[in-house]
Amino acid sequence: MVLGIGAAALLVLVVLPLGFLAWSSVTDEGRLTLDNFRTALSQRLYVQALWNSLILGTWTAVLSVAIGLPMAWAVGRTDVPARKFIHLTAVVAYITPPYLTAIAFVYLFSPNAGLLNRFARETLGAPALTFNVFSMSGLVLVTVIHTFPFVYLLAASALQSVDASMEESAQILGAGRLKIAFAVTAPLVAPAVLSGALIAFVNAIALFGSQAIIGLPGRIFTLPTRIYALFDHPPQYGLASALSLVFVAITVIALFLQRRYLARRSYVTLGGKGSRPRLIELGPARWGVCAFCGAVFVVAVLAPYLTLVAVSLSKSWGLQFWQNLTLKNYWFILLEYDVTRRAILNSLFLAAAAATLSVLLGSLIGWIDLRTVLPGRKLLDYASLIPLGLPGIVVAVALIQFWLRMPLPIYGTLLIILLAYTGRYVPLGVRSASAAFRQIDPSLEETARVTGAGWLRTFRSVTLPLARPGLFAGWILVFVPALQELSASILLFSSGSITLAVAVYNLYETGYLEAVAALAVVTMVIIAAAIALATRLGRAAATGDRTSLAS
Amino acid sequence: MAGISLEHVTKRFGELAAVDDVSLGIADREFVTLLGPSGCGKTTLLRLIAGFMAPDAGTIGVDGQALSTPGAVVPPERRGMGMVFQNYAVWPHKTVYDNVAFGLTVRKVGRGETRARVGKVLEAINLTGFEGRYPSQLSGGQQQRVALARSLVVEPSILLLDEPLSNLDAKLRERMRWELKDLQRRTGITFVYVTHDQSEAMALSDRIAVMHQGRLQQCGPPREVYARPANRTVADFMGLVNLLPGRVVRAAGAASAVTVGGAALVVALPDDAREGQAVQVAIRPENVRLAPLPDAAIGTPPDAAPAKVVEVTFLGNLTDCHVMLDDGTRVRVQAEPGAVFDVGQRVLVRLDARACTVFHE
Repeated sequence: MVLGIGAAALLVLVVLPLGFLAWSSVTDEGRLTLDNFRTALSQRLYVQALWNSLILGTWTAVLSVAIGLPMAWAVGRTDVPARKFIHLTAVVAYITPPYLTAIAFVYLFSPNAGLLNRFARETLGAPALTFNVFSMSGLVLVTVIHTFPFVYLLAASALQSVDASMEESAQILGAGRLKIAFAVTAPLVAPAVLSGALIAFVNAIALFGSQAIIGLPGRIFTLPTRIYALFDHPPQYGLASALSLVFVAITVIALFLQRRYLARRSYVTLGGKGSRPRLIELGPARWGVCAFCGAVFVVAVLAPYLTLVAVSLSKSWGLQFWQNLTLKNYWFILLEYDVTRRAILNSLFLAAAAATLSVLLGSLIGWIDLRTVLPGRKLLDYASLIPLGLPGIVVAVALIQFWLRMPLPIYGTLLIILLAYTGRYVPLGVRSASAAFRQIDPSLEETARVTGAGWLRTFRSVTLPLARPGLFAGWILVFVPALQELSASILLFSSGSITLAVAVYNLYETGYLEAVAALAVVTMVIIAAAIALATRLGRAAATGDRTSLAS
Repeated sequence: MAGISLEHVTKRFGELAAVDDVSLGIADREFVTLLGPSGCGKTTLLRLIAGFMAPDAGTIGVDGQALSTPGAVVPPERRGMGMVFQNYAVWPHKTVYDNVAFGLTVRKVGRGETRARVGKVLEAINLTGFEGRYPSQLSGGQQQRVALARSLVVEPSILLLDEPLSNLDAKLRERMRWELKDLQRRTGITFVYVTHDQSEAMALSDRIAVMHQGRLQQCGPPREVYARPANRTVADFMGLVNLLPGRVVRAAGAASAVTVGGAALVVALPDDAREGQAVQVAIRPENVRLAPLPDAAIGTPPDAAPAKVVEVTFLGNLTDCHVMLDDGTRVRVQAEPGAVFDVGQRVLVRLDARACTVFHE
């Protein structure tokens, strides 16, 4: 029964839509054909998009390592000042929706109106210092800000788990600093770094918002923006499906490489209990390292946020900032523009509902996998991981094809967006639920069973309370990205089911530059408030559990 | 030739003196163990010798050449010592061969010679045939040997070992003990060995240096440290000990005596002991004997006291008894396995005065 529920849910959320996607990619009005793939892989338009996506992903991955690795090393292994602050920089950069960063950089570096470009040209008289953000470099820059934290976080934890004795035993054998770094430290953390780079790659190429905002004005088409364009009237479903599958193939290959590399060469857990990382005293060099991290903070956090706030307070964005301050934009966004309130409510509802559903479904699947011997449980577990390989826009394309052919008219409603979010984020739910359940010794449940509690009672009064902190963490893990989801929503929304991110994007497209900034600031406030509230609730839930355990 | 000398070495972490004014000389080819409970500063002292940290005061020298002073420390990579870590620290990404060959590569030893030397050392520790394996394919004991081989292949004159056996199971630990001892005899390397296990220390060492709260408490051959502990801390740490309340009845050099629960013992006293002073008498359970109560006619010998048996546990190789003297003092006794006593039985407790050490209250 439980297995049935889990299987049915995955079927509807993931497997069937994917099936329809595949079917539609190889058919044309009912007959089998490979034309769609032929077009997708031969026409300049699409090959160029594919190529651009690969360039974007590769550069982003490389630069993510170039930024994330030194930062991780500085925080984890040196006495650089302000380590907490550096860590926070990476976290904030990760949380900030990339389309907001993109918009902020447009304010600063759009070729004609960009503030810093005008400053360079008009005030400094140095047009050589201008930078056109509507370029591949601009796109990479904006994307890296969002993706370097992947490398940073993975590398930091790897560096921290390499016990000092690993390096010290090389040192006592006569190896100098450089030799230790190359012969011992680097090989030990390389899997984590490479893994971070591949995750950065996969994420980078999937971001619709920044690629539309930066790429389209610069005529740099990528896979998501090409697929999006295919939905202009008349929509070309077959071609969109074929392109989507090509997209999926790239993502899956990258993720496959990452998993295989990690599985074969993951040493970082070997140190295990209480590893003591080796700290390096940098001396005066620490200020240089600190300056590097400070520069990352300025570019990744300070500049975008300051810009958005400044623009949101301007009558018209320009160099005479102080002379035209206003609150009119907020007035407009919050009180006159009726889309805002609808979008906020929709997004809050969707994020909360998707988080709850993902965690529930994740608990079910995780529990079946860990605690039962039902046949097919491994298959279920694997099926739940499929969405990891699906970029948001592909999920949307698949859902559209599936539900347009179903008798239920949910296209254009909140429900289809909810299905998209739940499908996209169910792997996060499964992973956190599995992790939470794995920490509960089965004997605790068995004790309850022995004392006469039924299965449901045991699950409710033993398993669930013990797993609650982990499940709650999973809930937040889904809630935060769902609140700012754009890549799938952009194809699925209607005026009634508009989401926050789509509202920002649409307003930007319409050209209300100052109002967009106000809405962006509002978005960030909502995200920040949601995270703050959630962590506070989570902490309360966790401590509540601990006291109940002790009593 | 490599003797180590520590002179007034101090290392502080904030307020805490992890190593507090330790002076110790270690002779060439000697096996010295730093023994103490966790947090006593023994590992810190070892890391000071290795050069991983600088002392806050004092000097560390090898063969009369100062290596560590508060101002200047020769870095570990230029000391030519070997070190084996508690977690082995065998590099998981290198094969057994590459692990062992590392030190030779760093020293730019030629390929042929490297192969020969690695082969020889692997043979010495019974790992021939494992060259191509990765550490994850080895047992804990084998990893331990790889760590040893890696340190030995560069032929250091000093080998530092930080609780190298603590992660092994009991049986393997015992075997590795003998292998280590044998190895040290054959190679003539100076061993400085850190452990919290007193039996390991006694089995291996030429001398044991007992540490507590950063200070060196006593340093001497195992027998001496065990039988003549310098203070209560050492007595307590070197195995089971009874600390019995006593009183000095006569302070007169070799003819001094104390009473314990009615028994009068002729023992050496601390220098400044006075008559009538309360003291503590340390005696190990194996040096206490139990005897049936004698006939009233014969009388009680002077070194004995009457007591009641409270607990008897048969442990196979001995019988572990707890008895209570008439003044309420409990004494633990390890009697021979054949001794049969019943709980509640009245017995005579005889204390071997030669095995007693007297401490101030």
